[in-house]
Amino acid sequence: MYNDKNKQKIVDIIKNAARKHSLWVLAYGTGCGAIEVPATMTSRYDAERLGVRGAATPRQADVLLITGYLTVKTLKRVIRVYEQMQDPKYVIGFGSCTINGGMYFDSYNTINQLDLYLPVDVYISGCMPRPEAVLEGFGKLQELIGKGVANGARQYKDNLDYYRENQKKVIKNWDFQDYNW
Amino acid sequence: METLLEKIKDRVSVNFDLKDHKIYADQKRVDLFFKKEHIPSVLLYLKEQMDFRHLMHMSVIDWLEEGEFEVIFLLWAPKEKIKVFVKTRIDRENPVMENMDNIWPQLNTYEREFKEMYGIEFPGLVAPEEFILEAWTGPPPMRRDFETDKFAKDNFATRPGREDAQDVRETIAKRSGEDIPDFAKKYSR
Repeated sequence: MYNDKNKQKIVDIIKNAARKHSLWVLAYGTGCGAIEVPATMTSRYDAERLGVRGAATPRQADVLLITGYLTVKTLKRVIRVYEQMQDPKYVIGFGSCTINGGMYFDSYNTINQLDLYLPVDVYISGCMPRPEAVLEGFGKLQELIGKGVANGARQYKDNLDYYRENQKKVIKNWDFQDYNW
Repeated sequence: METLLEKIKDRVSVNFDLKDHKIYADQKRVDLFFKKEHIPSVLLYLKEQMDFRHLMHMSVIDWLEEGEFEVIFLLWAPKEKIKVFVKTRIDRENPVMENMDNIWPQLNTYEREFKEMYGIEFPGLVAPEEFILEAWTGPPPMRRDFETDKFAKDNFATRPGREDAQDVRETIAKRSGEDIPDFAKKYSR
């Protein structure tokens, strides 16, 4: 039974409405962006009124918030964390470092494009993005979830070979098991 | 203060072959230049006999044009509040420096860093192979002849759009038909 408006099943519409109002965020604090997260979460901007809350561990989280540049060493841990998260899961790239390298575009050990290695649902631009921008990004993510188009996790599963190839290109000491879902 | 600093210099130069020195009276600082071989005994003497008990820092400068690395030890006397910089030059092609972590154990960490970042060898250094970089295959990244830009371009894909390093201010001014004021022009590329 499909809703012809945006080709979602009615059960999906209900599920997505529930999902988008309770986003549990794992803030992976790399780089300088981690300092904006407490400001977003605490009383002044109060992200919890949108249903956005911090989660303690990857397995309890829905959103992986990557706040800033990623060195090759950290990227390996981030991939590990992302693969531990359970569906539904979304990735937010935070700051210009995740988009095109930002001010570290010519560094010898930071990656320049996050979406080669992980499926990013929403990018928040800025260096640093202010809490308003972060909330805007979460709002955008909620909108995409509501429409049923925030399907980065499915994209990752379908194109795992592509992502693995890119990941292995930069991570020289690759020692993950060859597993699949 | 000047006389005290002179005295320190004199006392060291009596015991060791001092190549050169410099005194900064306003900073309470003496720079002492030695040959590479004398460094361990100089450091031990300064620590044990002259109360320079505290190692503030160890640092390396890459003098690419002269083909040398400069290794610097920053010492501090807590009682007199005087700094002594012990400096030496080593060959850049074959950089070998004595392992001195038995004088100050914290030198071990510095030596690991310089081994990784500059490729300086410390014979007898007992430490894990990797310090900060993981599975690094390129040349030591902090050397001045290491081309970071090229390395990043070869290894990490860049998103198209920032090759020309365009000035955003000019683009915006052109789009909205405004003139950039004179005071802002000097900051434009």
